[in-house]
Amino acid sequence: MTEYENRPVPEGINYSRENPLKEFLLLCTALLGALAVLLFALSLAAQKLAPLIPFTMESRLVAQFASSLPARAASERAVHAEAYLNQLAAGLLAERDLPEGLELKLFYSDSPMINAFATLGGRVYVMDGLLREMDSENALAMVVAHELAHILNRDPIVAMGRSVTVSLALASLSGLGNTGAADWLIQQLGMATISGFTREQERAADAMALEMLQAHYGNVQGAERIFTLLDGQRSEPPALFSTHPLSRQRIGAVREFAQQHPQRGEVVPLPDFLGEKVE
Amino acid sequence: MIDLIVFLTLLALGYIFGRIAETRHFKSIVQREAELADVLAFSERLPPPSDEPRRIALVGGNVVISVDYFKMIAAGLRSIFGGRVRAFESLTERARREALLRMKQEARNLGAQMVVNVKLETASISKGNKGQVGAVEVYAYGTALIASPP
Repeated sequence: MTEYENRPVPEGINYSRENPLKEFLLLCTALLGALAVLLFALSLAAQKLAPLIPFTMESRLVAQFASSLPARAASERAVHAEAYLNQLAAGLLAERDLPEGLELKLFYSDSPMINAFATLGGRVYVMDGLLREMDSENALAMVVAHELAHILNRDPIVAMGRSVTVSLALASLSGLGNTGAADWLIQQLGMATISGFTREQERAADAMALEMLQAHYGNVQGAERIFTLLDGQRSEPPALFSTHPLSRQRIGAVREFAQQHPQRGEVVPLPDFLGEKVE
Repeated sequence: MIDLIVFLTLLALGYIFGRIAETRHFKSIVQREAELADVLAFSERLPPPSDEPRRIALVGGNVVISVDYFKMIAAGLRSIFGGRVRAFESLTERARREALLRMKQEARNLGAQMVVNVKLETASISKGNKGQVGAVEVYAYGTALIASPP
């Protein structure tokens, strides 16, 4: 006679008793890690390839972004300031061989912000607020030289190349997830990757600018001005989150440069018309 | 930002309630399995030979268990890397055992001591509907042998 028996169901064979959170977090980390590596590789590739784009192509590209750039001021002050800025830039670049096809253009913007920036197509914008805070031509020359250095280093096209590549990659990746959250996360990642120039680019631009000043004036007096201004003006984020090196570090770099190079000549004053009030 | 908050809330809710439900369910399953241990169930096709008179009846137990949001996302992550989908393994285990228990309960209600030729059918509810939280159905059925009084 056959014995019939049902044993109790053995536990833990068909399913795992491990806390599912552990596996979940592990997989999340792996996924984010893989994504980060991929984005980093793509951004690096773009960074290496972007400088190979010729200047003429870059100038054609910038025409498409023209609407997002500051409007040109039409005042008499703007005409004078632009002529002066372009002359200053020409002086700073006098002893450098410019790459083929490069068209440098400096623009004056009547914004009260203390700011200047370099963008695609060899364009540099200097805001009125910054001009008013400068106490000598040398101080202004440091800012202009810094922006010119960005352009000579092809930083704007590198930043754009990076941003386009990364957003393209993210857009194609976001097809993977079908929840809104995935899209949001991907957007944030993209923003973090593409925001402006890197700290290395800023540092390189600072160093190049100091060389330009040294060549043009025989000294780097007044170069600290912009950094002391920035230092006093806003509370800075911790170094890790900031794209620009900390102002204090930059001041240190200027002083170090001044010690290593002979300092000759006097500070050049700004032309009178810059200090005039606008009615 | 709102999207992320909604997502994380759903994930947390899914995890907390899913985990509570699963723990309770396993506890209840183990307890009822002990209670119904005297109703035997076998996949054997033919009933054991016997001289005693008996009736036979089809008995079945059916259960549908829903995937929670956390399990869905965890399984989605798994589908990228491959491997055991642990999030779903516990779900199907619960569904199988619950269906068998319900079948045994029906058998006991009929006065049966044994169910033979037990089979399991499974179906996925809302299969193929993208972005929808799915559910798994398990149906257990078999032939109950009921000792009939002479």
